[in-house]
Amino acid sequence: MKLRLLSGLLFAAGVLFLFFPILIVAPMSFSGDRFLGFPPKSWGLVWYRSYFGDPVWLAATWRSLRIAATASLIATLAGTAAVVGLARVPPRWRAGLSGLLLAPAIVPNVIVALGVFILAVRFGATDSEATLVLAHAAIGLPFVVMIVGAAYRQSDPLLEKAARVCGAGPFRAFWTATVPPLAPAILAAGIFAFFVSFDELVIALFLMGGAETLPVRIWNDLRFEINPTIAAISTFFVVVTVLAMGLAEYLRARATRRQGAA
Amino acid sequence: MSFGPRLTLAPALVLALLLFAVPVALVFREALFAPDLSLAHFERFLSRGVYVAVFGKTLVVSTAVSTICLFAGYPMALFIVTRPVRWRPLLLFLVLVPLWMSILVRTYAWMVVLGREGIVNNLLRWLGLIDAPATLLFTTGAVYVAMVQILLPITVVTCYSAMTEIDPGLVRAARIFGAGPFRAFREVFLPLSLEGAVSGWSVTFILAMGFFIVPALVGGRKDMLLGNMIVNQVGQGNWGFAAVMAIVLLASTVALLGVVRLVAARFLHSPREEQA
Repeated sequence: MKLRLLSGLLFAAGVLFLFFPILIVAPMSFSGDRFLGFPPKSWGLVWYRSYFGDPVWLAATWRSLRIAATASLIATLAGTAAVVGLARVPPRWRAGLSGLLLAPAIVPNVIVALGVFILAVRFGATDSEATLVLAHAAIGLPFVVMIVGAAYRQSDPLLEKAARVCGAGPFRAFWTATVPPLAPAILAAGIFAFFVSFDELVIALFLMGGAETLPVRIWNDLRFEINPTIAAISTFFVVVTVLAMGLAEYLRARATRRQGAA
Repeated sequence: MSFGPRLTLAPALVLALLLFAVPVALVFREALFAPDLSLAHFERFLSRGVYVAVFGKTLVVSTAVSTICLFAGYPMALFIVTRPVRWRPLLLFLVLVPLWMSILVRTYAWMVVLGREGIVNNLLRWLGLIDAPATLLFTTGAVYVAMVQILLPITVVTCYSAMTEIDPGLVRAARIFGAGPFRAFREVFLPLSLEGAVSGWSVTFILAMGFFIVPALVGGRKDMLLGNMIVNQVGQGNWGFAAVMAIVLLASTVALLGVVRLVAARFLHSPREEQA
């Protein structure tokens, strides 16, 4: 009994430590003071106004949203197709191929960033949103392969066979029998890949000269001062991210569990 | 015709080859050719005390951070796994939520918390423990605190998923045969969960080795890690040297994990082997 209380307290302390900094920053983003102090002496929406009213911050935000949307779409389509393909290649090839697709999740981004930068310089493809989108798609790919792969392995292969037997062509069988049960996992994977791109700093830092993404803008800003505007941006995007990722996690868990039970 | 694996795998493979495998290969090339095949860059890396010191510091910080994360994260995972099944998703959720926040945002939050007018300083002053604001930001301590906070959820989740694989019946059996809760834990659960603990430590270590945002923003000048040096060298246009550091980073991570796995295999008996 004492043991359970102790481990409960330890868990609570750990969770408090994990949430502590953001729980402090969130109220401070509503501070009306010129400098961030805790507790704030006055309240207001000054810092939200300075974010939503600044064309530089907004341009960086739109650029990041655009890049993340495109990169996650590419990663999700390519990754889902790869999951299906991996199940059909000869087993002796499977480990190597899936290793290649999963490796970007383990190799530090700073190394990938350096390599992509060297490659882009060689082909004159620096300062290009397209290059950044493709690089972000590549680092998002492992998450799609993991999430959709887990759901696919638990799905029933007979479903697609049945569709074929009933006369559907391979595309139709795939689209009407295999995809629908995978849809929640695919959506979850898309959300994960979106935030992999949206939060990514170092590849964008190396690749994009003048055109800053949101993380690059924050990074460049933080090197010189602790700008309270970032408290507002952080709070805003923490809320957005947690809601979206919460949905993704719910979908992922449901997709894996439901099919596991079936 | 059926749409074969070749067609469905092609887009992902092209993407992974062109924007991951080829770039990483280019990093190796860049490091080894200066401009002819030579180890000149590596010699330069080893001949300067500063670089070797930063490399050593990266190993020390990553090892320490992942060890702290394991000692804090293992009991947290254990707590979740010993709760009734219906409570577990909620408890796991509490650990996952901080993980979803961007590293940049979490690092910024620590800058705010540890700053001169931050809550920690103001609290210490209010309690009368200090008179003038203490320097908490831009210190090694700040780097540790922020890195542990950022990586801890990953350790917890990895340990937890390994623990869910353990048959709870085994612990119950030990209890039935008269073992106290501590003994049942120490002799049954702990050995079975050590493999998961080792992978939790390893994942955390891999990620810690590549860190550069945290040391750059909350650390002092002496807290630079290998990741920071790579970013700085690229900024100065020294790709060749940045590439050498990238390879040192990659190679030392792989080597250290190899050692950890060997040691773990030597001391841990895999439950599967014993059943066989």
